[in-house]
Amino acid sequence: MKWKTPKTFAALLLATTLLIGGCGNSGNNASSNTGSTGNTGNNAENSQNAAEDTSPITFTFFGADASPNWNNMQDEVGKVITEKTGVTIQAEYDVGSGGGEQKIALMTASGDVPDFIFAKGSLSKLVDAGLIMDMTDLIEKHAPNIKKILGDNMNRMKYSNEDPSIYQITTNMGVDQQSFDATGGFEIQQRVLKEFGYPEIRTVKDFEDILRKYKEKYPETDGQPTIPLTLNADDWKIMITVTNPAFLTTGAPDDGEYYVNPETYEAQLHYKRPEEKEYFRWLNHMYNEGLLDKETFVQKDDQYKAKIASGRVLGLISQEWEYQDGENALKAAGKDEYTYAHFPVTLNEDYVDHSFQSAGLDGSGIAITTACKDPVRLIKFLDWLASDEGQVLMNWGIEGKHYNVENGVRVVPQEIQDRKVNDANNFNKESGISLYRAFTVYYGDGVKDPSGNYYTTNFPEQIVAGYTEAEKETLAAYGATTWKDLFPQESDFEPKEWGALYNMPVPTDGDYQVIYQKTQDIIRKRIPEAVLAKPDQFDKVFDDFLAELDKAGAKEMEAEYTALVKKRVSLFTGKDVQ
Amino acid sequence: MAASKAFNATRSEKVFDLINVILMTVILIVTLYPFLNVLAISLNDSTDTVRGGIYLWPREFTLENYRTIFNYTGLIQGFKISVLRTIVGTIFGLISSSMLAYTLSRPDFRSRKFVSTFLALTMYFSGGLVPGYMLMRNLDLIGTFWIYVLPGIVSAFNVFIIRSFIDGLPYALQESAKLDGANDFTIYYRVILPLCKPVLATIALFLAVGQWNSWFDTYLYNGNKPHLTTLQYELMKVLASTNQGSGMVNANDMANLMAQVSPESIKMAITIVVTLPILLVYPFLQRYFVSGMTLGAVKA
Amino acid sequence: METLSAKNESNFLSVTPSPPKKRKKGFWQILVQQKYLYLMSLPFVIWCFVFNYLPIWGWTMAFQNYKPSRSFGEQEWVGFKQFIDLFQDERFYLVLRNTLAMSLMGLVFGFVVPIFFAVFLNELKGTIFKRTVQTVSYLPHFVSWVVVGGIITKMLSVDGGIVNELLLTIGVINEPIQFMAQGKWFWGIVTGADIWKETGWNAIIYLAAITGIDKELYEAARVDGAGRLRQIWNITLPGIRTTISVLLIMSIGHLIGIGFEKQFQLQNSLVLDYSEVLDLYALNYGIKISRFSYGTAISMFTSVVSVILLLTANGIMKKTTKESIM
Repeated sequence: MKWKTPKTFAALLLATTLLIGGCGNSGNNASSNTGSTGNTGNNAENSQNAAEDTSPITFTFFGADASPNWNNMQDEVGKVITEKTGVTIQAEYDVGSGGGEQKIALMTASGDVPDFIFAKGSLSKLVDAGLIMDMTDLIEKHAPNIKKILGDNMNRMKYSNEDPSIYQITTNMGVDQQSFDATGGFEIQQRVLKEFGYPEIRTVKDFEDILRKYKEKYPETDGQPTIPLTLNADDWKIMITVTNPAFLTTGAPDDGEYYVNPETYEAQLHYKRPEEKEYFRWLNHMYNEGLLDKETFVQKDDQYKAKIASGRVLGLISQEWEYQDGENALKAAGKDEYTYAHFPVTLNEDYVDHSFQSAGLDGSGIAITTACKDPVRLIKFLDWLASDEGQVLMNWGIEGKHYNVENGVRVVPQEIQDRKVNDANNFNKESGISLYRAFTVYYGDGVKDPSGNYYTTNFPEQIVAGYTEAEKETLAAYGATTWKDLFPQESDFEPKEWGALYNMPVPTDGDYQVIYQKTQDIIRKRIPEAVLAKPDQFDKVFDDFLAELDKAGAKEMEAEYTALVKKRVSLFTGKDVQ
Repeated sequence: MAASKAFNATRSEKVFDLINVILMTVILIVTLYPFLNVLAISLNDSTDTVRGGIYLWPREFTLENYRTIFNYTGLIQGFKISVLRTIVGTIFGLISSSMLAYTLSRPDFRSRKFVSTFLALTMYFSGGLVPGYMLMRNLDLIGTFWIYVLPGIVSAFNVFIIRSFIDGLPYALQESAKLDGANDFTIYYRVILPLCKPVLATIALFLAVGQWNSWFDTYLYNGNKPHLTTLQYELMKVLASTNQGSGMVNANDMANLMAQVSPESIKMAITIVVTLPILLVYPFLQRYFVSGMTLGAVKA
Repeated sequence: METLSAKNESNFLSVTPSPPKKRKKGFWQILVQQKYLYLMSLPFVIWCFVFNYLPIWGWTMAFQNYKPSRSFGEQEWVGFKQFIDLFQDERFYLVLRNTLAMSLMGLVFGFVVPIFFAVFLNELKGTIFKRTVQTVSYLPHFVSWVVVGGIITKMLSVDGGIVNELLLTIGVINEPIQFMAQGKWFWGIVTGADIWKETGWNAIIYLAAITGIDKELYEAARVDGAGRLRQIWNITLPGIRTTISVLLIMSIGHLIGIGFEKQFQLQNSLVLDYSEVLDLYALNYGIKISRFSYGTAISMFTSVVSVILLLTANGIMKKTTKESIM
């Protein structure tokens, strides 16, 4: 060999490293081959006497959401599950912001998938790579409980018209779930309502008037300036408090960033509806009148919550989970009259709040991969979890320990209830209650089992028991027992035929995602600009905003989306949609 | 020496010292604040923290946030792995960077330009997520401890920093050693290394902090190996943060995520738990790079 | 030392045109002669090749419409489409402007401040005070950008923020200023925050370099009656010149890839046109929406620009100051 130049040298290096790399590669292949041969043997063996098979087996799992309380099944419920089924789940959950996109991309590229997976929005990537198993037959043959719970919803489990396989079963929401309370709408402090004798709050005008009157009467709260209304625009929360209310106040249901015409199934970005422009005009008016907090679009999440916790914010337009921390601090400080009441406020009396229009069962869930060691054993395990015994164990815990049966009624002992409230984190981790629910389909709140008890531990009586005195006083004044009583009910609306569109898979290649991201960037920038504009400038800013959306390709994106919505309607309902 | 200094101190010297002390005191206060703030919030009741307005002192003192963190399993295990990777990674990193730095500092080294260019370029590109993963997979490193240490052994940045230090040393020392019959390795080991203590301490700190703080490699490669996860990774699990979830459009997901968001106080307690161990290393290294202690090192 | 290096280079160059026979022999001789040097560098070069250079095959993705589900042979090749898309996107130029603006400000201020801090810290007399300042100054490095972002937003708030309160009290302004709502101030705020957070940490390298300066030089200067500032100028700064140059060259190479964490944590919807940087753009329009190829094209662009910057900086420094890394 001649060592002429550094080039030769580099070539040698290359050769060496390729050799190393090559060796590693082939070694790996060999080992994975033997692995799969072993599995095949296992498979055959297991499927023969799978009926009562409770021999120990471990299934690997990846969950795209974080689950900080996962304790490797060393919790009380987990031990019972392993004892009864022989199954141990070796789970890995995504950390941080969750979503698992990166992990799943790597799984797709390498083919290294666990036995089963909760892939959330990334399922289609795994399906495209041929890594997900069709569960149709497995459910048909081995999973009577899952079949029973899903019932009529089986259509909704199908992947698409072209590929009607069942790749996942919905496990991140309960079947036939009922909401017992309203937690959204427009919020007003109890003390404000009391001051003016609990007036009717129906439109944004009513909302505005009461905030203004109170602010004029009491410009300061505990020595600090009173803030009539503040919103949270920190990152994605801008959707919750600024942009989503635009469709909620104008009589449209939540379909993410879109509005779907219920007759034609045409989808468009909801901002394009003329009535929503009027909503943003109202926000603009609120800002120019000095009623909307100046810092709305600048403040960070914690500043927003601190303002709420100080009790000086009279009104909010949000969801309870979004501002809960602030309200909890108020409750802890004994300032119950500073907490918030909920009203189904709309732009004017022509609109009806659609918060409770049902989207039916539509979510993400568990999928079994083609790498699964023993799919039959796994589906049987999932089915056991979906049985009445499994559901009660997952939701209520262990009889005699976490609940007792008194005269046929399941009762949670007081000390357990106290721990659930005061030491929730540690209790969940030790007991494992509700930790396993996401592994299978389950009945939602408000559904009763054959013994006449609820499957879950949430029921209406609890909601009322959880209200503060101030809340009860307000509710009584409006002649209601829960906030939900003030809202239009589920029964007032037809369920949406297209489900919840924010769960609909969208194309991952092509321009769709790019245009979507562009429109998002425009919305995040232009909506605040429109709200903060001078009133006479508002029209121009808003119209420019709409024009900019179309310039970014919104029309093409909407057309693509419309086609998907139509397909979805026909998949879900069996209708022939043109 | 102090006496001679005092003797020479003129009026302008005193003014200089005074201004300098004032300036440094201001910097001291300004840079101490964020850490004290974090500490105060970590010791404050988490519900009360939401009210804001906590600066240097907790309003409602509690150790509950720390108790919550330490209740998570896997922390002890994670701590062990983190310490191990920090020690092993630092030692390997020091050996490689100092050897490379020495060879590159030798003006007569034949491949000096090639090697330094070859190294320098690595600072500015990477193949990306997928190729990186495939490489680790082909090398059979996934699911092993070595994946924490091996990929990062050679760091061009560290090499160049050490080399710049060696360049500042008198070359005569090497030459006289050579005349005494020492080979290149002996010079490196007996002459260069002892003189490089200050810069090696600095690089050790960089390497140690880098190793200690990293969690993404655990996440990518060893997340399903409970016996190999690191402390940072375990704490990332506790820290369900929504800060980067700006791509979500799903109200359900948002609500679910919100339910998991750790309260501010717990996040701060995690910061403290993560930072304190590595801060404890600091005094041992600091004596080497704050001058006044190493006087005469060059002469020795 | 510089003369030595120059001499060696002329040696190196003179070898090239000589006949191959002689050159070959020369190489072997040198190899044997410098065997320890090769033993101490070659293994790491190979190492570096495996872990840093091999994954570069991933750059092929920039010329594909990459899908993780397809194997390498099945990928669709699209030529320069990703780059054309990139260069045709107006937003790309906006984020490039922001990136360069903030990194240049960072280079001017963020680079100089730690040097001054290290030098003046070195002038402190009390060892304990010196160590305390030094230890404390690097603490903010360990506080994440989320926390620092929160602290800064609160300080600059119009709702009781300390900066506005202060300005109101001393009468500079009559009405609180919305600092965070002004796009034009965003770059400055980011730069300031970065200096606050990283100065102490970045100064450590210079402190180490200062300890390498021969103490006798100071003694001699003092005997000559040089004041402290003169000593700094004549001894300390020249003593750490090599370190400064090396760091400067490397930082110039990093001008275009500055991460997005700090901008992300400090931004709000009113300053988006000034806050978005290339790395965040690459995330939002690349990996996050599974456009691996586009993301790769951006990172390739960044790498190429970085390497050009690095080589230019290295060349200029070599010519003007004789200090370089390559």
